[in-house]
Amino acid sequence: MLQGMFQEGQMIKITNLEKFYRTEEVETIALNKLSMEVGTGEFVAIMGPSGCGKSTLLNILGMLDDPDDGSYVFNDIEVAHFNERKRADLRKHNIGFVFQSFNLIDELTVFENVELPLIYTGVPAAERVKRVEEVLDKMQIMHRRNHYPQQLSGGQQQRVAIARAVVNKPKLILADEPTGNLDSTNGNDVMELLTDLNEQGTTIIMVTHSEHDARYSHRIIRLLDGQAVVENIMV
Amino acid sequence: MLRNYITTAWRNLVNKKFYSAINIIGLTIGLAVGMLILIWVKDELSYDKFNTRVDEIYKVNASIGSGATKQVWGGAPAPVAFFALKEVPGVVNAARVITSYDYGTFRYKDKLLKEDYGKLAYVDDAFFTMFDYKLLKGNAKQPFPNDQSVIITESAAKRYFGDADPIGKTITGDSKDPYTVSGVLVDFPANSSISGDMLFSMNVKKKQYNGKGYWKSMDEDWGNYYTQTFLQVRPDASTKAIGDKLTKIHMAHQQGIKPTDGVFMLQPLADIHLYKPDGSQAGMQIVKVFSIVAVLILLIACINYINLSTARAMLRAKEVSVRKIIGADRKHLFIQFIMETVLCFAIALLLAFSLIYAVMPVYNNIAGKQMHFDLLNANVWQVIALTIIVTLVASSIYPAILLSSFKPISALKGKISGAGNATFRKVLVVCQFAFSIGLIIGTLIINRQLNYIQSKQLGYDREHIFSVEMHGMQDHYEAIRAGLLTQREVLGVTTGDNSVVNSGSTTGDTDWDGKAPDVSFLIHPFNIDKDFISLFKIKFVAGAGFTGSKSDTAHFILNETAVKLAGIKDPIGKRFKLHDLNGIIIGIVKDFHFASLKQAIEPSIFAYRPTSWQMYVKTTGKDAPAAIKAVGKYWQQYNANFPYEYNFLDDVYNNMYKTEQQTGTLFNIFACIAIFISCLGLFGLATYTAQVKIKEIGIRKVLGASVANITTMLSKDFLVLVVIAIVIASPIAWFAMNNWLQEYVYRVDLHWWIMAIAGGVAILIALATISFQAIKAALTNPVKSLRSE
Ligand SMILES: Nc1ncnc2c1ncn2[C@@H]1O[C@H](COP(=O)(O)OP(=O)(O)OP(=O)(O)O)[C@@H](O)[C@H]1O
Ligand SMILES: [Mg+2]
Repeated sequence: MLQGMFQEGQMIKITNLEKFYRTEEVETIALNKLSMEVGTGEFVAIMGPSGCGKSTLLNILGMLDDPDDGSYVFNDIEVAHFNERKRADLRKHNIGFVFQSFNLIDELTVFENVELPLIYTGVPAAERVKRVEEVLDKMQIMHRRNHYPQQLSGGQQQRVAIARAVVNKPKLILADEPTGNLDSTNGNDVMELLTDLNEQGTTIIMVTHSEHDARYSHRIIRLLDGQAVVENIMV
Repeated sequence: MLRNYITTAWRNLVNKKFYSAINIIGLTIGLAVGMLILIWVKDELSYDKFNTRVDEIYKVNASIGSGATKQVWGGAPAPVAFFALKEVPGVVNAARVITSYDYGTFRYKDKLLKEDYGKLAYVDDAFFTMFDYKLLKGNAKQPFPNDQSVIITESAAKRYFGDADPIGKTITGDSKDPYTVSGVLVDFPANSSISGDMLFSMNVKKKQYNGKGYWKSMDEDWGNYYTQTFLQVRPDASTKAIGDKLTKIHMAHQQGIKPTDGVFMLQPLADIHLYKPDGSQAGMQIVKVFSIVAVLILLIACINYINLSTARAMLRAKEVSVRKIIGADRKHLFIQFIMETVLCFAIALLLAFSLIYAVMPVYNNIAGKQMHFDLLNANVWQVIALTIIVTLVASSIYPAILLSSFKPISALKGKISGAGNATFRKVLVVCQFAFSIGLIIGTLIINRQLNYIQSKQLGYDREHIFSVEMHGMQDHYEAIRAGLLTQREVLGVTTGDNSVVNSGSTTGDTDWDGKAPDVSFLIHPFNIDKDFISLFKIKFVAGAGFTGSKSDTAHFILNETAVKLAGIKDPIGKRFKLHDLNGIIIGIVKDFHFASLKQAIEPSIFAYRPTSWQMYVKTTGKDAPAAIKAVGKYWQQYNANFPYEYNFLDDVYNNMYKTEQQTGTLFNIFACIAIFISCLGLFGLATYTAQVKIKEIGIRKVLGASVANITTMLSKDFLVLVVIAIVIASPIAWFAMNNWLQEYVYRVDLHWWIMAIAGGVAILIALATISFQAIKAALTNPVKSLRSE
């Protein structure tokens, strides 16, 4: 059983979580009775070999996917059996996502991409402009606000993606290999940004293949074949 | 929020120019054509409905004969209206309309104008209060102050008097009878079954009965079914009871009438445009067919939209997933996609409006109508609203549901359950092509039947023959004939009172030895001179023709059908009585088509008369102008008061099938459009497939696939769909067209190869459409396509 180091608040507690993928001939066990906890304000890195279930875990934590068995308590609410609608609702108010491949919408400008989550949560227009500008400023891409994603470098795109993930002030940011498509300079910038966000109180769970990046976190959870095997606590 | 939806929708439209163009062009044409057809349908259905009392007004039709010879006439004898008002309960009002052929021209001061046949009518005073035809000037309660009054339409007034006030002005019919204008009528609406230029008092017609004839007065004349009689009945009255009562009155008043003759039936005013007097469909059939065609074309256009947007949804899966992950609800996505559809539609609609405006004149020309596309007209908006709601619902809900129901995480990985809706798309493509192939088959068969009508051996020769009404020339016919025959360009001259192309009249007033007492026998009488039969090259099967001798006045010639139906054995020399004339049969002619090919050949009889009102002149194609001029000289001499007019029988014949020709032309156009829109969709889908498979194609090429291999790979699936469509459409189209052909007694046979041609054409067109994209994809350098991934 792995314990979070910040005991004052527990954000995530999963117990015996299981996830299977069934195709015609084989059944893959992506998560095998996995249990872990993440405290509020923690910065956790998840590592492990390819195919060990990192992305699967992150998707379940982000309520994009549902587990086949086990329990998932988020902020004291059991969400494992929530339906799509309820999950979506919880998600849009609490969780921001950052992906390896940025996943910006090509048809929208930088500003509009960042504005989108606010639109979906029904923030009024004037307030939206203020908040988007604020966050773009912080990510230092204000001067690119009217550009389209294709006109930006990878590092800039990832900064926009982070801006979009944090604009709704989520309590939790889930990042799946956020530096995977970036060179080391840009990668370090992104890690600095995430660290800043964490210091301001946002909980971060990040999947990474890079020991270097993992060192930015408080704690590393290592997965093997769908099970947590080791936990390293940073100092 | 809304702004965001609209900008996103707009950018999607602009960024994907190719698909947007295909979608919008398809929708525009579909909407425009669909609306044009529906406007036509609405126009057809609107006939006579402008009358406020349309539900209470009925026309009296008469059924004559029984069994195979039963015919239902749209006319009734004049006394019907008289007795209906006097003796039949439930009848509130009655008005008769009798077309007048009494005048051909009218003169006002030195202006002499021709009035076309059928544009003059005698009407009862009630006409003006029963119907909604409005008098601009004049008194509807007492429309004709005296028998020399005439009411003319606005446009007729303009022709005679310009802008001057027509009231009190006098026009002279055929230089003899003066009539004073007592009222001006708003022109008959184009969708009125009753129309004309001038209306005269029924009293004028009544006075033509001088009491010396067989029928003493108009309201005693039960023998001539020449009036259109309209009755206004109480809403709760039984029309059947009224008809039966009228039949009883008829039986009581006309001596010797058979119980099967003169049976009256009431037909609702709203039905008289689209249904025949016997209640069978006339125009209604075409209205139904065209409504179906309109719906099919709209469906084809919608299917395009659905297919392309769902196909593209696969390419948009990433965008949709991202939106979901960052918080979009189903509702948001749903609205977004509906918005895109609405935008596409708005553009297509604008273009469709412009297109409709642009083609309206041509369309009116082809359809032979005066329809208006007026954006401010409520009717137009009804059509539009219906079209749009149906199309919008059909073409936006499905893509919207599909797109908004992606599982975000699998879609992000490019794993969407594509199988299910690829099947759905295939089904839609099959439907689309089934519709198109059905229309192609329909077109082929209609064209074949029209060709058949054109080239059918009718049993007489109408080539290069024109007819002229003789008027004053009739008294000098012999001299004129002799004079014309000296001209090189005139090959023959004859006279007759009935048209070989389309005989108008029939009579039941016949007798022969052995005629069963209660049998109804209707025959078409032709009064002709001695040259008629030879000029029209009608063939004898027995006996001989008229020679012009004195004894010919008591001679008759029958056609084969007449002999057969009358059941006369060895007819030559037998007695036959037509009206008051007792004579003998001297010849039998081979049957010929003196009516539309929709009707079976009926009995006909030729009687001899040295001259009749109509002269026929045969010439040659080359010499026709000279022949017309030659006749014109005599016209000048004897008919100076009439404008010279002649009709070639070929034109008269073609006019008889004008509706068919128009329907045929419209059908051709619609079928082409359906095919075009279908192909547009297929083109889009083929492009999409090539785009999706670009990597696969690249890899296959690297591994050694030839251009032919790849083209086949991409085209095969689509062709299978077209073949399935052929299999589905052929039997249905066969059945439907077979039904349509039943309307013609004389018709072409249906052959399996018509289906084969339609199928072949569809396959060829589809192949051409698909292979363009397939070949293009196959020719792409694989290095390029592999790198782009
Ligand atoms: N949709 C799916 N269908 C079938 N199997 C799947 C599916 N998604 C993941 N898997 C399997 O589940 C296991 C875990 O996959 P997951 O994507 O979580 O690995 P990962 O740790 O993120 O790997 P990587 O480091 O390569 O991203 C793998 O064995 C994978 O093959
Ligand atoms: Mg992964």
